[in-house]
Amino acid sequence: MNIKGEIDLGLGVLDHQLIDSEDHRCGKVDDLELEGVREGNPRVRAIVTGAGGWRGRGRVGRLLAALVHTKTVFIPWEEVAEVGAEIRLRRTAAELGLGRGRDAAARWVEKVPGSSL
Amino acid sequence: MRKIFSIALGIIAAIGGFVDIGDIVFNVAAGAVFGYQLLWAVVIGVGGIITYAEMCGRVAAVSEKAVFDVVRERLGFSVGLVTLVAGQLVNLLTLAAEIGGVALTLQFLSGLPYRLLLVLGVFALFVVLWAMPFSWIERIFGYGGLALLVFVVAAIKLNPDWGSVAHGFVPSTGSGNGVVYAYYVVGLIGAAMIPYEVYFYSSGAVEERWRPKDLGINRANALIGYALGGLLSFALMISAGALLLPRGIHADLFGTVSLVAASPIGQLGLILALVGTLFAVSGAAIDSAFSGGYNIAQFFGWEWGKYRHNAGAPRFTIAWSVMLILAFLIVVTGVDPILVTEFSVIFAVVALPLTYLPIFLVANDRAYMGRYANGVLGNIFGGLYLVIILVIAVVAIPLLIASNMGQG
Amino acid sequence: MRVSALLGLHVTTESGDRLGRVHDVRGELTPRTLKATGLVVGRLGFLERLGFGAPGSGSRLRGRDVVPWSAVVRADVRGVVVRDGTKTR
Repeated sequence: MNIKGEIDLGLGVLDHQLIDSEDHRCGKVDDLELEGVREGNPRVRAIVTGAGGWRGRGRVGRLLAALVHTKTVFIPWEEVAEVGAEIRLRRTAAELGLGRGRDAAARWVEKVPGSSL
Repeated sequence: MRKIFSIALGIIAAIGGFVDIGDIVFNVAAGAVFGYQLLWAVVIGVGGIITYAEMCGRVAAVSEKAVFDVVRERLGFSVGLVTLVAGQLVNLLTLAAEIGGVALTLQFLSGLPYRLLLVLGVFALFVVLWAMPFSWIERIFGYGGLALLVFVVAAIKLNPDWGSVAHGFVPSTGSGNGVVYAYYVVGLIGAAMIPYEVYFYSSGAVEERWRPKDLGINRANALIGYALGGLLSFALMISAGALLLPRGIHADLFGTVSLVAASPIGQLGLILALVGTLFAVSGAAIDSAFSGGYNIAQFFGWEWGKYRHNAGAPRFTIAWSVMLILAFLIVVTGVDPILVTEFSVIFAVVALPLTYLPIFLVANDRAYMGRYANGVLGNIFGGLYLVIILVIAVVAIPLLIASNMGQG
Repeated sequence: MRVSALLGLHVTTESGDRLGRVHDVRGELTPRTLKATGLVVGRLGFLERLGFGAPGSGSRLRGRDVVPWSAVVRADVRGVVVRDGTKTR
């Protein structure tokens, strides 16, 4: 469901689920990088996910970012296909640099027999 | 016709799946100490879980999101993360209690040493979580828990004073130690509304791809399933009240629970009670382990769910595995599992507002729910229960201390 | 600048009148861009001060005013300053 038109960045985009082109969940919108603020023409440059995104989310976010060093990934806004209840992306998670944590975890899980169950 | 069949199956699974070690411990203990006087507290607890399970199921069917997705979006990152940490600690304690309960039950059935059974039990749970499809798990452990219906038979056979039983459904301040009485009220409501139940229910609804057309199933499951599950809780308390109270037997030992079924029915009663307990408590262990996985995966936006298969949702898989291992480490220390159970319920009560407030907020949010948002009835019950939850959350730990964990 | 940095900032006029805090950022979605067109400004409620409430969720309960971005003079870590006489929509 593509909401064209008016949307609130905090309510409608921040903390929403990211879904890649293969329908896989790949994180949440942890923060949004804006550009053009000083010039009076502000727009969203990129979605920020990972520890770098948590740092701006209050004291709790800073604490978490200090304890858990996940990779900060910037997803240029052009990669967004649809904005609805979830944020759909144009390409796969791997192509966008997401899912490094997932791949690391998968390596362990695949060692155990029956991992495709 | 198929729809009615599938609703019936879901309800049956909910009945057996409702009871966990916390319900068993608190209902039998309350019966042993206060007889039938606390039946009304169970009614309140069951009413609460019905109200909020229906809400969670509705939110999941309409928004296609489970609880922690919603918690982060609605309450924000900071509060969401605090809720997550608190929720995980409670899940962990609950899981530890259930694992202890599984080992205790196996000990009664087999006579093998407790610690060995802990290891075997955790290993068996791991295999089930790893290999068994979601729907099988729900069905097998739900149906197996139905053996607990033996307590309904026991309650009737023990020939209690039904007048007193009826009286117990009316709220009162009870006779005896007021502080201990209040502690049991809190524990009984808490045991019925323990958080993993709604986390699991809502995640299950998303896993099974419920949509608005399934709202009827949701309502039936929640109302009939949990109400009949509450019947099992009544049976536990009534049996304990009829058998243990007159003899002054306190339900400190796990053995007294099965005694309650064995005494009026004999060997068969004992076996059914133990088998039913084993399935119900194992089912609860599975549900709380998965809840641990669901919560963290949903908060961070990882892939989750059994339908994705183990390697398809690796961080979710690792999360529940870690929960299982940590819970095992807690109970393998040899700590009394009944003690762990009581702590797990009381700490769950303290975290209940953080669990249920977000659900209430989202269920009312027309942006998420459209025309399926809470109606007047939903809000009256939902709001009333929020007040109840807040009150018991505040008094839980003071009562735990003041009543000396219900010992007086 | 991050959106998280904007949220919660004090909003004052050039002559120093306090209008409240930034509750959310109003935006306009087009097929390729998401532009910020205004700021949702209001007083912070008690719960919101404690950290409850996703950005903008409070606006569901109470009416909030939207300051168009054209009225913004400056927006940085110190706060947001808007032109005097800014009318909200």
